[in-house]
Amino acid sequence: MCGIIGYTGNRQARDVILAGLRRLEYRGYDSAGIAIGNGSLNVFKDKGDLDHLVKIIPEMRGKFGIGHTRWATHGKPMKNNSHPMVDCNGEIALVHNGIIENNVSLREELMKKGHVFRSETDTEVVVHLLEEYYDGDLEVAMRKTLARLQGSYAVAAMHQKENGKIVGARNISPLVVGLGKRENFLASDVPAILEYTDRMIYLLDGEIITLTKDTVRITDFKGKSIKRNWQKVEMTLEGAEKGGYEHFMLKEIFEQPNSIRDTILGSNLNAESGYSFDLKPDTVKIIACGTSYHAGYVGKYMMEELARTPTTVELASEYRFSSDTSQAPLIIGISQSGETTDTLSAIKTAKKRGFSTLGIVNIVGSTMTREADSVFYTRAGLEVGVAATKTYITQLIAMLSISIKMGVAKEHLGIDDARYLTQEMRKLPKHVRSVLDQSDAIFDLAQEISGARSMFFLGRNMNFPVALEGALKMKEISYIHAEGYPGGELKHGPLALVTEETPVIAIAVKDQTYEKMLGNIGEVSARGAMVIAIGTEGDRELEKYADHVIYIPEVPPLFTPILTSVVLQLLAYHTANILGCEIDKPRHLAKSVTVE
Amino acid sequence: MKAVILAAGEGTRLRPFTNSEPKPMIPIANRPILEYGIDALAKNGITDITMVVGYRKERIMSHFEDGSDWKVKIHYVDQKKRVAHAGTAYALSMVSSEVQGDFLLLPGDNIISPGLIGNLLDSKGKYRLVVTESETPSKYGVVELSGDTVVNIVEKPETHISNLISTGIYKFSDEIFPVIDKVIKSGKYGLTSVLQTIIPTTKVTAVKTSKVWSDVVYPWDILTMNAVALRKCVSQTSGTVDKGVTLKGSVTIGKGSVIRSGTHIMGPVVIGEGCEIGPSVCIYPSTSIGNNVRIGPFTIVENSVLMNDVQLSSGSYISHSVIGEGTEINPQFCAVEAPADVKLEGEFKRVDRLGVLIGEKSVIGSQVSVDSGCIIGSNCRLASHSTVRTNIEDNTRVI
Repeated sequence: MCGIIGYTGNRQARDVILAGLRRLEYRGYDSAGIAIGNGSLNVFKDKGDLDHLVKIIPEMRGKFGIGHTRWATHGKPMKNNSHPMVDCNGEIALVHNGIIENNVSLREELMKKGHVFRSETDTEVVVHLLEEYYDGDLEVAMRKTLARLQGSYAVAAMHQKENGKIVGARNISPLVVGLGKRENFLASDVPAILEYTDRMIYLLDGEIITLTKDTVRITDFKGKSIKRNWQKVEMTLEGAEKGGYEHFMLKEIFEQPNSIRDTILGSNLNAESGYSFDLKPDTVKIIACGTSYHAGYVGKYMMEELARTPTTVELASEYRFSSDTSQAPLIIGISQSGETTDTLSAIKTAKKRGFSTLGIVNIVGSTMTREADSVFYTRAGLEVGVAATKTYITQLIAMLSISIKMGVAKEHLGIDDARYLTQEMRKLPKHVRSVLDQSDAIFDLAQEISGARSMFFLGRNMNFPVALEGALKMKEISYIHAEGYPGGELKHGPLALVTEETPVIAIAVKDQTYEKMLGNIGEVSARGAMVIAIGTEGDRELEKYADHVIYIPEVPPLFTPILTSVVLQLLAYHTANILGCEIDKPRHLAKSVTVE
Repeated sequence: MKAVILAAGEGTRLRPFTNSEPKPMIPIANRPILEYGIDALAKNGITDITMVVGYRKERIMSHFEDGSDWKVKIHYVDQKKRVAHAGTAYALSMVSSEVQGDFLLLPGDNIISPGLIGNLLDSKGKYRLVVTESETPSKYGVVELSGDTVVNIVEKPETHISNLISTGIYKFSDEIFPVIDKVIKSGKYGLTSVLQTIIPTTKVTAVKTSKVWSDVVYPWDILTMNAVALRKCVSQTSGTVDKGVTLKGSVTIGKGSVIRSGTHIMGPVVIGEGCEIGPSVCIYPSTSIGNNVRIGPFTIVENSVLMNDVQLSSGSYISHSVIGEGTEINPQFCAVEAPADVKLEGEFKRVDRLGVLIGEKSVIGSQVSVDSGCIIGSNCRLASHSTVRTNIEDNTRVI
């Protein structure tokens, strides 16, 4: 997926680009590099994260340039495979985010023409194509080059002879243009350039952008000029600093009460709307990846209970290849960034099949907000930690709000029920706060389990997806193998793996599955496993079954996933921290996955 | 110049309001106490702040983050070991490596005005201490002067010495740190001890001020201070005000809040974000209402502080009261103000007018009535129709 940035103006480009890359690092951190122009072209890049690059980078003077932070897809993380890529003569530099699907055939063709390839990447073909087509105008060369490419890309390029000019283009991978005073910017994402300007133009697929410090020109692939007004971005950079917390992830966990409050405020679930909603699908299909998939999975239970609407959940990367069925479900796509390629492709597939689509997105102006028929914004603000926390919690709030609306629209819920549920929802910020107040106790439990090589997370009904999410969090940041299972499924196989060395985290809140969960806890503790249970406040019975209990406040059963999830976030965080893991930048991962 | 703010303390005397919120975060006119100090520094051009945090540090860090909203740069230092006797000197010693040259020192749990910081900066002397007159000096550290030089400082004296008290606001230089280390090694942890050590050899200048400085010592001080702070409240509406609402005086209404018809609000009143008030609610002067608060029909609130997430049902009367975060009150609750003898730390204290003080996350049943001056703890559950005549401890179930 990678992050790219370009700058042209009166500042020293090196400093602007390095600061921007710092904010793009969530998109990848295998290697990084920058290219600066000042009559000649200077490129500096290396394997390793940005900290490493900053440590070894020399002074580079020049007022326009491009930069890149990489998440490897084609070719291992190593210096040669880092961007910017340069052409044979070292005159053109290029950075790229995405995948060039026809790179193998293009590479053969270019090699026959005598181009010398220095990397294993798909990207390098683009820079050699630019070289091939270059005849004094980089924009023209770019247009000819793009006509040859298949795949997804956001690119930015510069030529040493064209002083102060940056040419970029977008197809599928995101790219925004920031307008400054006598300077202009280009980046994969808004936060990278938000420090300098809040006037942005979101580039659309199939558009080329040519920037100098005084001009901005958008054209399509045929060369026709496109007029587009800039938008003012309301986001603030506040979220981009750690503000005393050791990690962004912990800061974001502690921000959740406010994120929940803001999302509820934005949900339009109030008397002002008169509780009249037009949302009556016969069936629903939720499509998402990773943590968002788990939020969708919890949503399935909410929709079935509150709106009696049959709901299925599918991984976006799988849905695209599924068969079209005769029913026409409402498709709900969930993506924090609104740029997740798999989810976007799934939405496109759904639209082709004639289904209506609803996107649940955190980033305003992102691609999904344009692709989907309607949008529900989670108002979590900027999330920097790669492991999703506050965006996931607000996705749960989104699922709950949509379920209530659907329940009212389909007349399964009375308006009084809806009013009751919304009032209960408004208490969630304080309930989450009381879970956060137990952070120290959860830290103590994390110490007990941090030596484990493997662990199980159990839950039933709507807390089953929470168990999946708890296991995912544990895996992604602490690198301990963890599996989420529905309590009842354990004895159909995985129980064989439970020993005294596999801690079990069991969600046993007071709902219709409580008694059964007690039985499941009995099964694992009989095999010697240490059990940490998450129970409802006041439930002393649970202490007889489990070795340790963390309590959540009493809420309607449908709301419990929001609180149990927070416990598991803290458990994963503290475990990873005790083990000294790179929490905000787990290995091999990046925040928004804009490759297939 | 740099400023160091000590915000690691718990504020045990303010329980139940400090059970999960540190004292610097107690809201006065909907702004945490600490915010006043930070604002005072920023207005005097001091933007480089090191903050010592400890107890419930997340609440402070999540609110102020890196300080950019207040146009300052905040760096946090975690006072990890909260030793039983850890005092202000110990807290200050945590930052010895962060501070070079002259610096200001402020307590994070006092209301401090920009004018006071101005007085401090305008005066002379290497070591300076801001002093002010107090009607009740016995609650504080009392200062004896000779000219403008501090000659003695006595913590909470039993006999009357003078009306001048220490505000705990200083200008120091980094040379103070070796002295602090020595004092700590001798088993004393308060800044008063440090001061007593240096007075014989070094001049400490007293900076007298009449600008606003106040300390919330007892929970009911929240009400007095709230009333004072609300005098600066302005009329400003970012929320929705229905037809048929009367707003008189200065009323601030935060974004996303809805005020329904028939509601009468007489300022100064400040209402936070995302609240739902009315229909037909009366709110009388010197009331602060936090974020996400709901007040049902026919309820009267007067001279009170309702913290975030409070829910008040219909038909209640609440006067001169402080209701902690997230507490839910069911219909027809009654807390009338009257002169009261409040039992605190085993002693009775006379308060002129007081309703009730309720900690956070308690649930009060319907038709509950509380005698003036009672303190109800956090996480209590009171059954319907209860009558409360004494203080109720945290986590109590009244059936």
